[in-house]
Amino acid sequence: MSIQSIVRKLLIAASTIAVGLSLTTLEASAQSAADRAVEAAKKYSGTTLNVLYEAGLQPLDPKNFTGPLWEKLTGIKINVIEAPIDQLFTKTMQAHKAGSGSYDVLNVLPNQMPDLALAGALEPLDKFVDKYGYREELQKIAPVYRDNQMKVEGVIYGLPDDGDVLIMYYNRAIFDDAKNKAGFKAKHGYDLAPPKTWKEFSEIGQYLTDTLAPKVYGAGLFRQPGLAQFMFQERFRVAGGKFFDADTMKATINSEAGISVFKGMVEDNKYMPPGVEQWGFIEPFSAFLAGDIAMTISWPPVGRWAAGYGKGTEALNWIPETKIADKVGYALPPGGTPELAAGFSFGVASGSKNKEAAYLFSQWMNSEEISLKRVQLPYALRDPFRTSHFSNPEYRSRWSNAGDYLDVLKAGAETGLLDLSLLQTDRYEEAMRQAISRLWAQEDPKEILDDLAGQWDKLTKRIGLEKQKRVYNDWANKPNAYPK
Amino acid sequence: MITSNSFADKLDQERWFKYFLIAPAVFIILLIGLYPFVKLILVSFQNITMFDNELSYQGFIHYERLFDDDRLWESILHTIIFTAVALPIELILGFLLALLFLERIPYKQVFVGIILLPTVISPIVAGATWKLMFDQRFGPINQVIAWFAGHEVKLLWNIEPALVWPAIMVAEVWQWTPFMFLILLAALSNVDREQLEAAQIDGASWWMTFRKIVLPAIMPVMFIALLIRGLDLFRVFDVVWTMTKGGPGTMTETISIYAYHMAFREFDVSYSAAIAFLIILILTVIVVAALRRMEVSR
Amino acid sequence: MKQWDQGARLWARVFCAMIVTLFFVFPIYWLGAISFKTAEEIFAYPPVWIPANFNFHNYFVLFRDGEAWSIWNSFVTASISTLFAMFFGTIAAYSLVRYKTGGNHLGIWIISQRMIPPICVVFPVFLLFVAWDIVDTYTGLIVLYTAFNLPYVIWMMRGYIQEIPLELEQSALVDGLTRWAVLWKVVMPMAKSGLFATAVFTFIFAWNDFLFALILSRSDVVTFPVKVTGYFGAQSSLWSKVGALSMLGVLPMIFVVGTMQRFIVRGISMGAVKG
Repeated sequence: MSIQSIVRKLLIAASTIAVGLSLTTLEASAQSAADRAVEAAKKYSGTTLNVLYEAGLQPLDPKNFTGPLWEKLTGIKINVIEAPIDQLFTKTMQAHKAGSGSYDVLNVLPNQMPDLALAGALEPLDKFVDKYGYREELQKIAPVYRDNQMKVEGVIYGLPDDGDVLIMYYNRAIFDDAKNKAGFKAKHGYDLAPPKTWKEFSEIGQYLTDTLAPKVYGAGLFRQPGLAQFMFQERFRVAGGKFFDADTMKATINSEAGISVFKGMVEDNKYMPPGVEQWGFIEPFSAFLAGDIAMTISWPPVGRWAAGYGKGTEALNWIPETKIADKVGYALPPGGTPELAAGFSFGVASGSKNKEAAYLFSQWMNSEEISLKRVQLPYALRDPFRTSHFSNPEYRSRWSNAGDYLDVLKAGAETGLLDLSLLQTDRYEEAMRQAISRLWAQEDPKEILDDLAGQWDKLTKRIGLEKQKRVYNDWANKPNAYPK
Repeated sequence: MITSNSFADKLDQERWFKYFLIAPAVFIILLIGLYPFVKLILVSFQNITMFDNELSYQGFIHYERLFDDDRLWESILHTIIFTAVALPIELILGFLLALLFLERIPYKQVFVGIILLPTVISPIVAGATWKLMFDQRFGPINQVIAWFAGHEVKLLWNIEPALVWPAIMVAEVWQWTPFMFLILLAALSNVDREQLEAAQIDGASWWMTFRKIVLPAIMPVMFIALLIRGLDLFRVFDVVWTMTKGGPGTMTETISIYAYHMAFREFDVSYSAAIAFLIILILTVIVVAALRRMEVSR
Repeated sequence: MKQWDQGARLWARVFCAMIVTLFFVFPIYWLGAISFKTAEEIFAYPPVWIPANFNFHNYFVLFRDGEAWSIWNSFVTASISTLFAMFFGTIAAYSLVRYKTGGNHLGIWIISQRMIPPICVVFPVFLLFVAWDIVDTYTGLIVLYTAFNLPYVIWMMRGYIQEIPLELEQSALVDGLTRWAVLWKVVMPMAKSGLFATAVFTFIFAWNDFLFALILSRSDVVTFPVKVTGYFGAQSSLWSKVGALSMLGVLPMIFVVGTMQRFIVRGISMGAVKG
């Protein structure tokens, strides 16, 4: 640890020197950041970069589009290495622990960034950012991603590259239906519209299920613990909950807010389709596309694919046909502060033998110019994350209400809430996942949350209370850790 | 025996030959088997974690942690229960199957061949297959149950605490019962026919015949089969990994899954070495005890 | 009357056998069915029991995108390691049986190596392979599978070689053959079916391995079990690929069972009887 921190300090010192030196390279600033990256990368022509990507749809981008393009421009070959999402961390750390330098460019899940950075697996990027004049374009990444998915303790370790946020989708045909509208107003005294609070969400969901089931249910949400924990984190904070006491670092997850949210989540299942407790990503998605549920909350690709964007693309042929293509409505989920669930940043492996080239590729991918193309790939899983993506006229005309879609994503990128991020976050999340599966098993919410708090306290004690407190407060003081 | 010895004597002048033959195998096993073992012991006394890389001697701190780790003992408990339930089921089903195929049956080869299939496919594929089978919406299991129940069922095989274990158990039993079946079939075919017929003539009941003649005859083989399967079940990893990854929560976490988690998720390297050592210790005790018993029963 | 009774019992047995067989084969059928289904059929509710037609598209995609390469990786590592393990294992077993090398202890020690769960040793093995720079190479997996299968081969071949009458070897020696020649021309042919049965299992173990391949491969030598688990993604659910690639991994096993059933039966029952 001590040697590593000395090395880190040296690197930071080196990077400040590099700032001075970089003034000489600034004459190139007339070019775009993408061009600068290409220009500088040419000297590495002939090398190969190993790029670690989440398996599945994600790697299609570097494999089919950006990889070949980059090779044409710079002569650097891109070798995409795929790993399932739950293996990304393992593979990264494994390579680091072994000092094998197997990867150059990494896809980093933001809430794992502190672990990876503090373990020394990630290369600090400030020196490169300055050397290649990228700060300005970095600043144009939508604020929540820029401020929260880039740095650990003030040092840049990743280029935020994915606007992952859980937003709400609703079926406009159901919400605009005159009979539904009249009936709902008569019962609850306000207009049937996308709910602004969880109370409204429940009332609308219940009403629609009561009138339309079993053909259509009011809502269907993530319920598998791994995904439901994102929704819990969001709703818990919307209800005013805090994860820890900032002074004592005692877990406060078992507060009134926690208990009421847990109870609410169980109540909500009653108007969702039978078996919803097992729903992961694909179930609410396919049910929504089939018109079987009126509301759902999910990642941005759902909003595009439900609207029929990318239809006919070979890579998306596993997606069931959408029956609601022109009826998709977009809104922020209740509370208006959507969860910035997961997401990706580009990082450079500290063990890489081609750090500079690896950084340049990341800068090029992440730049205004190239990222705009990437987020519009029909099969992309990278979601708009730059202010310019949201306002891009081409993107806004991709389907009839693509503009609405991008506006909601933009709003989410301002008010969104960060995933809890600590040292060894995964252990805390694991306990949370376990708590949620107990919840579906009908155990008592208070009892579950008391246990969860106990487990968290034990973890904190093991990791080191002071150390963890520092990291937590660092996180909690970010503008998007808690709703304003 | 005498011939064997004199044969070896004759070869004495070429003593090197026997070592020459066995050397490569021993070398490879030492290289890949012994080195990791020694490394394990070393690492378990150091302190290598995600953040630290302390290589000096740290005493028994990681072994002490073992006793304070509820999740570890829970995972061991899961493993033991899993083994204790799956093993007898496999044995009994395998035995019944063997009885069925012991007698004349047309197309026996074809039947046996098909039944054999699960045992030779990858446990990962078996796990994936059952994961798809048990999907509450798109899988056929709930559908079949619905036919019998006469109404729609939505059993949550991957989440309901009461159902996750049975689901994994079904996959495991499906894959390995044929293994038991084949071994027991071979053992049963070797039971002395004449003895059986004699017992029948004496008017012995089915149960008596089984206890007095069949069981003793197949006992040694059955014992080995149980030992092999028991060890496999104790280190079960692949099927659980594909079906639940130990979840929901840690509900289906077996000792191997937990060891993986500590090593490759938490990178608590030294502690995971201590866990590995504990597992090896447990297995050694089981095997030695089992072999002792076998010696006695022989 | 008695004849009728026997006939009925026979049919009852056949009926039971068919039910049982159905239980064992259905999951594999279901996997195969998924591999031929279209996306709509896979995610249909209620489930589609028989795909409308033999749609090879899912397989085509695997080959076109190079993902079927993982099958080749499995094949290369499993078959080459089988050759090595069989060769070194058989001669070692011969040494153990005929010369009593190392007495009983060496044999016990060798088989005990087999009992160590992979999870216990995979981390140090990984570090070792990093030091040798053979992570994510065929060499790495071949060395590992060879080492891992050697105890099994030695143990099994020991049993088979014990069955070979000593007289044959003695008369061959008297005829002036060298020890190597005796081993090759007398022992090996006599142990042929044992060799074959053991080799089939050695291949199957390597073919089906997951944990070692998961840790010791990255991209170049990813084997099919590792690839299959990767298809259960976070924002995608590629059941069609799970089905098709799994089937590609099962097909060789169907072939093995279809053509070499007696060796498998022999291999499994020998393991217990001789153990």
